[in-house]
Amino acid sequence: MDFDAIVVGSGITGGWVAKELCERGVKTLLLERGRNVEHKVDYLDFAAPWQVPNRGRVPEEEKAQHYAIQGTNYAFNSASKQWWVRDSEHPYSTPPDRPFSWIRGYHLGGRSITWGRQTYRLSDYDFGAGRRDGKSIDWPIRYADLSPWYDRVERFAGVSGSNEGLEQLPDGQFMAPMGLNCLERAFKDKVEEIHPTRRVTVARCAHLTEPTAEHIALGRGPCQMRNVCDRGCGYGAYFSSLSATLPAAKKTGNLTIVTDAIVERLDYDHAKRRVSGVRVIDANTRQGKSYQARVVFLCASTIGTAQILLSSRSEFFPNGLANRSDAVGRYLMDHVVGLGAVGTHPGFLDRYYYGRRPSGFYLPRYANITENEDVDFLRGFAFQGYTSRSSWSRGGNEVGVGAELKQKLRTPGRWEMRLVGFGEMLPRADNRVTLDEKRIDKWGIPLVHIDCTHGENERLLGERANRDAAAMLAAAGFENIQANGPVRPPGHSVHEMGTARMGLDPATSVLNRYNRTHDVANLFVTDGSCMASSGTANPSLTYMALSARAANYAADLLTSGEI
Amino acid sequence: MSETASKVDRRAILLGVLCLAGGVTALTRMSTRVVAAVGANGPELDGERFALLEQVAETLIPTTDTPGAIASGVPEFVRMMLNDWASDETRAALLGVLDGIESKAWNKHGRGFLELPADRRLEVIRIVDEEAFARQDGAWRKFKGLVLVGYYHSEIGATQELRFELVPGAWRSCLPLVEVGRASAV
Repeated sequence: MDFDAIVVGSGITGGWVAKELCERGVKTLLLERGRNVEHKVDYLDFAAPWQVPNRGRVPEEEKAQHYAIQGTNYAFNSASKQWWVRDSEHPYSTPPDRPFSWIRGYHLGGRSITWGRQTYRLSDYDFGAGRRDGKSIDWPIRYADLSPWYDRVERFAGVSGSNEGLEQLPDGQFMAPMGLNCLERAFKDKVEEIHPTRRVTVARCAHLTEPTAEHIALGRGPCQMRNVCDRGCGYGAYFSSLSATLPAAKKTGNLTIVTDAIVERLDYDHAKRRVSGVRVIDANTRQGKSYQARVVFLCASTIGTAQILLSSRSEFFPNGLANRSDAVGRYLMDHVVGLGAVGTHPGFLDRYYYGRRPSGFYLPRYANITENEDVDFLRGFAFQGYTSRSSWSRGGNEVGVGAELKQKLRTPGRWEMRLVGFGEMLPRADNRVTLDEKRIDKWGIPLVHIDCTHGENERLLGERANRDAAAMLAAAGFENIQANGPVRPPGHSVHEMGTARMGLDPATSVLNRYNRTHDVANLFVTDGSCMASSGTANPSLTYMALSARAANYAADLLTSGEI
Repeated sequence: MSETASKVDRRAILLGVLCLAGGVTALTRMSTRVVAAVGANGPELDGERFALLEQVAETLIPTTDTPGAIASGVPEFVRMMLNDWASDETRAALLGVLDGIESKAWNKHGRGFLELPADRRLEVIRIVDEEAFARQDGAWRKFKGLVLVGYYHSEIGATQELRFELVPGAWRSCLPLVEVGRASAV
């Protein structure tokens, strides 16, 4: 055996698995399909606005030709362009009338460089949702199983936030919160006065505000409030694989990283009922190679992992490896986005702020938890909030020229608040990833075909989210209130998940309660594909906790000799 | 739309506008430049046209107690964006904005924009601005937006006219505006 463990993918989950395995003494190979990136050196975060290419704008023709999907992401700009794939080089197909936005980056660290850094725990409202309403399978774990792992990953990642004592949004191990601005405080008071069970809290985000000795030893420092996170952070202030987990894994001496290594398929040894090899293609030379290890972790992202499993067909697994349930690729979910509302406030004109807080506030789910009257949908939604005073750019949208215009724009404009809804999406078998049997990519790997739509429940909860957002803004004195819509295609929130779900029953799920495949003893999946339901909270923290937990479980099995 | 087709269309539209608005003299005096400007393959913002852009930008963002658009490199920025960023369609639309300003100057004052004194230039730009917003002209908004980002994200615009710290180092969530002073550039 070359290694004890192979981890496929170096994003948020692959980084965590590699760190935990390496720290347990497991010789680990980390495979990344994209290029190598050097933390700090390869970032454009110290460019002033006048030094950024085209002041942030990607040339229109280049964007249209090469970034038709990626360019729809809020964080896509000329200083972050290197973190997104060219859609023209990495195609996938969808039915013509059912778009899906597959947003991704192929490089060391994956989307841990561009993630929104929002870190919220799921609760038993989420883990128990399927048991309660029957619209998803039951999770094989409960909050108590994950709680210590949430603690562990929050401490290491570094999360700033405020404890609130809410059942639906469990508290955690937080560093000092960043603080609500003047208008957000007033909004919080008004919302909580009118709706006693709703809560407005500062965003919980994976930024260091009070770095520990462990953070500092990894070369990380406190957030400098620059808000250029999508370029990568030279201070290592926000959590990414490059700032945190990979440096920690490297320190053990147990980590080997191979980049430009595209996993084509996994080989299966039926006699041993084990994955016997991981076959890769070099992205540049197209040379094939196979690696062996005692245990394999797929952390290739929801759609990438489904693609690998479905491509790994054999006479024993004709529908794809570990897919006796036929659940691989199915039950694809995202969070419904394009919900909420925006408004401007006439007051607080003599108030402002200093610094560029890289985050906002959060209004956790209340529908079907504390508010059950007149609810015509299952599950619920939450809001992220963003508030600022409008900048000079308003000048481009209003009448005004010359010295008058210049004088006006010297002062910040009115306060604006945007409530961005995230709606839970129910899992449906027909929302699925399959292999395109006719088309291959430039490495000869079948393209994925993604067929995914929102259903009636998503429509209903979205309407309610829009109504509630507008009503809360109106109650707090906002004007010019407009809906955020339209609802975006699934995938747009970059929370895609569910294609290899955990479950109690091997007939209906792919993974057991430790993220091990029911069918193959030495194969684990800990990326978003493991999710049995989406919850309403941003999922990355849960992926981290599940990854750390599964990696330690696998290390136990390696120690005991079971695998 | 192909590049050639879009240029021909733009020229035809422009000439049509001039016929309606400017009369024969304006058409005669303008037509040479219009033909030259849309000529194949050549740089489209050289010479007189760049001078027009400079003065339009400076009229939009003039020198006051802080430097204006020209000192901040806005004309060069807009030219770079036309060359490196804009699609053919956008480039044509943005150049069309300059043509529209020139034709408005002829229409209102019987002279080219560059030949007008500063107060007349401001009047022309004010009319162009008001009319464009009244008819929801996307090209003008795009043009104005480029001039504004060119100015407020230039070093002068960001640090002398407004406020910019590359590394703020702290978040102070709620302060009197007077303590902070001017608007932040980003």
